[in-house]
Amino acid sequence: MGNSFSMLMDGFQTAFTPTNLMFGLLGTFLGTLVGVLPGIGPALAIGLLLPICLTVNPTSALIMFAAIYYGAMYGGSTTSILLNTPGESGSVITALEGNKMAKAGRAGAALATAAIGSFVAGTIATLLLAFGAPALADLALTIQPAGYLALIILAFATVGTLLGESRIRGLVALAVGLVIGLVGADLQSGALRLTFGNLNAIDGIETVTVIVAIFALGEALYLASRHTLVNVEVLTMSGKAWMTREDFKRSWKPWLRGTAIGFPLGVIPAGGSEVPTFLSYGVEKAISKNKDEFGKGAIEGVAGPEAANNANAAGVLVPMLALGLPTSATAAVVLVAFQSFNIQPGPMLFQTNPEIVWGLIASLFIGNTLLLVLNLPLIRFWVLLLKIPSHYLYAGITTFALLGAYALNNSTFDLQVALVVGFIGYLFRRFGVPITPLIIGVILGPLAELYFKRALQISQGDWHILIAGPFPKIIYSILLLVIIGPMVWNFKKKFANKK
Amino acid sequence: MILQKISKQGKGELAFAGSLFLLGIFVAWDTSKMVIPQGSSIVSPQTFPYMVAAFTSLVGLVLISDVLRGRLGTPDGAEPGDPFIAPSYKTMAILMAAIGLHVILLEIAGYVVSATICFFGVSFAFGSRKYLKDFAVSLIFALTVYFSFTKGLNINLPAGFFEGVFGK
Repeated sequence: MGNSFSMLMDGFQTAFTPTNLMFGLLGTFLGTLVGVLPGIGPALAIGLLLPICLTVNPTSALIMFAAIYYGAMYGGSTTSILLNTPGESGSVITALEGNKMAKAGRAGAALATAAIGSFVAGTIATLLLAFGAPALADLALTIQPAGYLALIILAFATVGTLLGESRIRGLVALAVGLVIGLVGADLQSGALRLTFGNLNAIDGIETVTVIVAIFALGEALYLASRHTLVNVEVLTMSGKAWMTREDFKRSWKPWLRGTAIGFPLGVIPAGGSEVPTFLSYGVEKAISKNKDEFGKGAIEGVAGPEAANNANAAGVLVPMLALGLPTSATAAVVLVAFQSFNIQPGPMLFQTNPEIVWGLIASLFIGNTLLLVLNLPLIRFWVLLLKIPSHYLYAGITTFALLGAYALNNSTFDLQVALVVGFIGYLFRRFGVPITPLIIGVILGPLAELYFKRALQISQGDWHILIAGPFPKIIYSILLLVIIGPMVWNFKKKFANKK
Repeated sequence: MILQKISKQGKGELAFAGSLFLLGIFVAWDTSKMVIPQGSSIVSPQTFPYMVAAFTSLVGLVLISDVLRGRLGTPDGAEPGDPFIAPSYKTMAILMAAIGLHVILLEIAGYVVSATICFFGVSFAFGSRKYLKDFAVSLIFALTVYFSFTKGLNINLPAGFFEGVFGK
């Protein structure tokens, strides 16, 4: 504990150099800018901004990244409230209740409770991350390959079955992701898979290309195919983005409850921010004295889920940093960012790259604070961005996404891949298949194979090792529970249908 | 017979589920053809791909049976029970063409030209018909991106026709 504290202080020292602070500021600005744009969620925002980060040194780049991470989420909630087009599943609830508030002329209060709630939740959750992640990393050093494999399979099962409207469709996305992850040379033997003699495919498919294409191109194709693109009415905001004393009194408990729900559900692989935000909304509605206001613009319904969303975002960084296992699309992009600097997140990270990881955690605090200071005054500027006509918006997103795919390797092969993956993204949207399990499959599939092989090498080919020892047994027991668990989550679905 | 009962939307989804099943078969076929280098380790490089192939086909089969029993997916952004919107293949084709041209032209004509075409094409697909304004916006976008990336971030993009015009 004491050690974590002094390391964190060192991290602040790293982050507080003028250069790094400037990158943090730039990150918050860019993150919010891209996050505000309708149709862009945090994962895509970070994916699009990745090429920019690659031009600076790793520490500065990751600090910028931390700022973009929180910035994109702040931006997303602004869009949800004023435009009712949630960029990602975590903002669905904010859109639901916050947009109603905005329509009733309370946009300022909705934006303020979202921003301050995100700040409170982000700060508490980052603190928990700073002390939780190193502890988990210490524990993780004792985990054997078979245990890692069990954890990955657990992540597959939860992400695959908890997201989306039906369990089978989540698994469909996972399967396609696993197939994409197979492409290229096998790490150990060098045997080629699914490359069709294409030399470019030997190194495998770039994860960033997949993420950018499936979100940006998939969405553009889908919207074009439905030709339902009307310029959505942007709600005007009168007065300041601030809250009354009454609003504060109604908000602070939901903020804390949202944090308490969001953080733990981020640490365990529960499939991103959808479940915690719905859960937080359900809790607030159940215990509120003003039940009749829910669905018409209750401030608790914005405060709780927004806090849950941000706390969740910090929570998913715990397994991402300590175990190297991303459990949401956004965490997956952050993992890719680490990998592009040849830094492998995992238990060793805190020992091999303490400067970077603590600099990153300190930057999360700084970024979070900068956002609170920047965002409420700048809100009028962000609102202007919402007025970009949607045909130019999607033209810009599409062109910029292709640039991101190309700039990674300066290769048109990546662009061809992007086109194909974009079409898969279209099909997924059309048939109600969730996107996140695909990304988790692409990233964790090769890791699963690696641990699978390592385990069998240790046991000289005896498959029993996969369930030997207490750790895998515990994980697989949890897995069994998770298959029963979704039935409990069904209340969420019923609840979603009611809106 | 069953096919007659399911809707147009269902047929599309059935095709999707069917291709998923075939994807699994295809992965298995590719794996069986794999050239395995000498001296491979205890676990063959084929084991994991076979597992993925089996999983993919299995999931495809379950989805097929789901669709046949009328459990269709809800399109993104729609509510369950919303009327089915037939996709507009024309706008999609324009969009795919815009992206495709970008891919083909990028290294031949350079970034500015291909990005201008792509931006213009996408905004056309999304229904914009103010050609002159659209073209101006596309060109400004492409130029801004090109110069901020090549000069500002030192990320090289193909210059194409502009090779030599802007130096470098």
